[in-house]
Amino acid sequence: MCGVVSKKVLKTGGGRIKSYMGKVLRVELSSGKVVEEKTKEEWLNKYYGQKGLGFRYLLEDIDPTIDPLSAENEIIFTPGVFAGTIISSGGKLAITSKSPATGTITDGSVGGSIGAEVKYAGYDAIIIKGKAEHLVYLYITPNKTEIRDAEFLRGKGTHQTDFILKKKLKDEEVKIISIGPAGENLVKIACMTSELYRQQGRGGIAAVMGSKNLKAIAIKGWKDVTVSNISSFLRAVGEINKKHLLTPDNSWTDYDGTLVFGDFMNDGGILPTRNFQAGVSPTYKRLHSEMVDKRKKGNKACFGCALGCGNYIQIDNIDLEGPEYETLNMVGGNCEILDLKTIVQFNKACDDLGLDTISTGNIVAYIMEMRERGIHDFGISFGDVENYLKLPEKIAYRKGIGNELAEGVRFLSEKYGGKEFAMHVKGLEVPSYDPRGSWGMGLAYATSDRGACHMRAFPITEEVIEKTVDPFTFEGKAKLVIDGQHYNTAKFSIGICDFWALDLNLLARLLNMATGSNTTEEDMAKGGERIWNLGRIFNVMAGFRRKDDTLPERFFSEPLPEGPAKGKVLPKKEFEKTLSEYYQLRGWDEEGVPSKERLQEIEVDKEVIEKFERYLSKG
Amino acid sequence: MKLVLEPEKCIGCKLCELACSAKNESVFNPRKARLKIINRYIEAGREVKGKFCTLCKKCLEVCPTEAITFNGKWLTVDDELCSGCGECVDACPEGIIFLNDEDKAAICSLCEGTPYCVEWCPKKCLKLEVEE
Repeated sequence: MCGVVSKKVLKTGGGRIKSYMGKVLRVELSSGKVVEEKTKEEWLNKYYGQKGLGFRYLLEDIDPTIDPLSAENEIIFTPGVFAGTIISSGGKLAITSKSPATGTITDGSVGGSIGAEVKYAGYDAIIIKGKAEHLVYLYITPNKTEIRDAEFLRGKGTHQTDFILKKKLKDEEVKIISIGPAGENLVKIACMTSELYRQQGRGGIAAVMGSKNLKAIAIKGWKDVTVSNISSFLRAVGEINKKHLLTPDNSWTDYDGTLVFGDFMNDGGILPTRNFQAGVSPTYKRLHSEMVDKRKKGNKACFGCALGCGNYIQIDNIDLEGPEYETLNMVGGNCEILDLKTIVQFNKACDDLGLDTISTGNIVAYIMEMRERGIHDFGISFGDVENYLKLPEKIAYRKGIGNELAEGVRFLSEKYGGKEFAMHVKGLEVPSYDPRGSWGMGLAYATSDRGACHMRAFPITEEVIEKTVDPFTFEGKAKLVIDGQHYNTAKFSIGICDFWALDLNLLARLLNMATGSNTTEEDMAKGGERIWNLGRIFNVMAGFRRKDDTLPERFFSEPLPEGPAKGKVLPKKEFEKTLSEYYQLRGWDEEGVPSKERLQEIEVDKEVIEKFERYLSKG
Repeated sequence: MKLVLEPEKCIGCKLCELACSAKNESVFNPRKARLKIINRYIEAGREVKGKFCTLCKKCLEVCPTEAITFNGKWLTVDDELCSGCGECVDACPEGIIFLNDEDKAAICSLCEGTPYCVEWCPKKCLKLEVEE
């Protein structure tokens, strides 16, 4: 059928609020029950879609103290408000759950086509709970959702899963998101993959899928997504694209993609090298974006996005969309692996097996340094290509040393020692930016809702890239980080990709154009704060407090040996003072607990405030 | 005149499909687009191709009510005459004809010479080829 619906007449789907679909799909895997319910429309004006809506449903549905790998945990798939429309970069799908890596709330988003497909299937959210008796996959269409046997996919990589399921369903255009063996084996750094190279990377949500015996979700939709006034919408989006999207500022997506960050980070002295022992790499040019460009065969976009930031490359017989900046450095220079082909092989193996490349690279570098320091010998040193290439499979199938590596650097450091250079926050491995040369980034890592994450606030823009702010001071950083967190939270809840740096005014305008609402720039910032507080409420209820909002000791006590940040550490006293300032500005107490007054002020809904009050009164 | 795709420049964004359904059906829905872009990863690597109206006129030939006409440049469906029988849907070798919400044949008319899909292609790899 080639994706074209044949003789059957299509009826318009859609909720009462334009660009939403009006329905939520709930799947309870223990009982096999599938129900549709109306989307809680009163939440949409407060929490929008994607991250915000996912957070609100999770907070409603689960007790934050549960074991993330128990049947009670949920996985919530929420597309952005613009998914399925012609707004570029708006097609991402958030996946929210309680993270088995950190125990915090976590959300990660995946690009490709699956976000729009959820909308075309008729849903604002897909919520999965329970545990199937054996391995299953979901087949979701607007007519029906079926829980189907997936034992034939056990142990298969995400790439084979994609190919096999499409053949089985006799549909090349069905959209699939799946877990690899890493997720099946409850690896804490397991990620989910769609269309081979689009990953929901961080926080181990794929292990939650694995714990539910859910191998994959296949979605086929054909419902309409509608907007408030389509002809003026098209005209306006066309103009916005010319003026704000397809501009020289965004042309990096055409050429280098995320690899453009490499130069900035090395020049700024914050490119993690040898497990964060250095911030500049003498051999950095060997993994320069130019090396990747030489192998490039073309660009690949997510559905509905004009930017097309993905680099499709071929190197000898291996093809790959990637490597992204984070991968290239975390599994490359940070492990002293300097051969592009080796990195591409490793990257592809991780994508297929379902492993987060950031955490994997961080863990591998950690055990390399453990050996160097004589703390524990996992049999691999910096630069050891042969043993390095064996690791993804060992981790994903929990073979040999892989069984322990699968638990992450926090576990390893607690068992063997070396906590001071175990590079994680709250159990999530630090990505490819060293905060000793970007102090604001240190505060951003420490206060992020899901542990060390570069996508909650990114003060590196001001501190290192644009150089408009002194990177070696905490002065003004609490506010910078808070503003960044609100900006990203609003953006990732309405649903615009990280790679379109539009301002909140334009974000509000797009939202109004799509839904017909009267949202202002101020509403957006407030919305970002509201959703940020939902995350904090969840985490406080899960037991997180000030002591957890910290950084690996290396950042506080080991000066960087060379480069622009030579001799720098984050001064701990000042860090603590800034953390207090951060809490005060947020209206949180000294332990980081949000106050009722501020929650009311930012219009968190009554039910959440009452739930939180009940929790606090129990002590 | 006809649509042509330069596959090596196509990024697979499908904005052309979205533009088509928006202009002709007033909704966003790639299944209601009158063209189809395939840009996906397969076991052998990457597959990129476009399915457009080639003006083969098989739809016109099978139409029992003569609702489909060709003016020498593009096809037109007369909704008054279209009975919604779907013969053209089955006859289209590209698989890009469908019946719309009003049960009428939705066939690419090249937007009467200025295709909206071409206007939205960010990489200018979808083009209207005009024969001299």
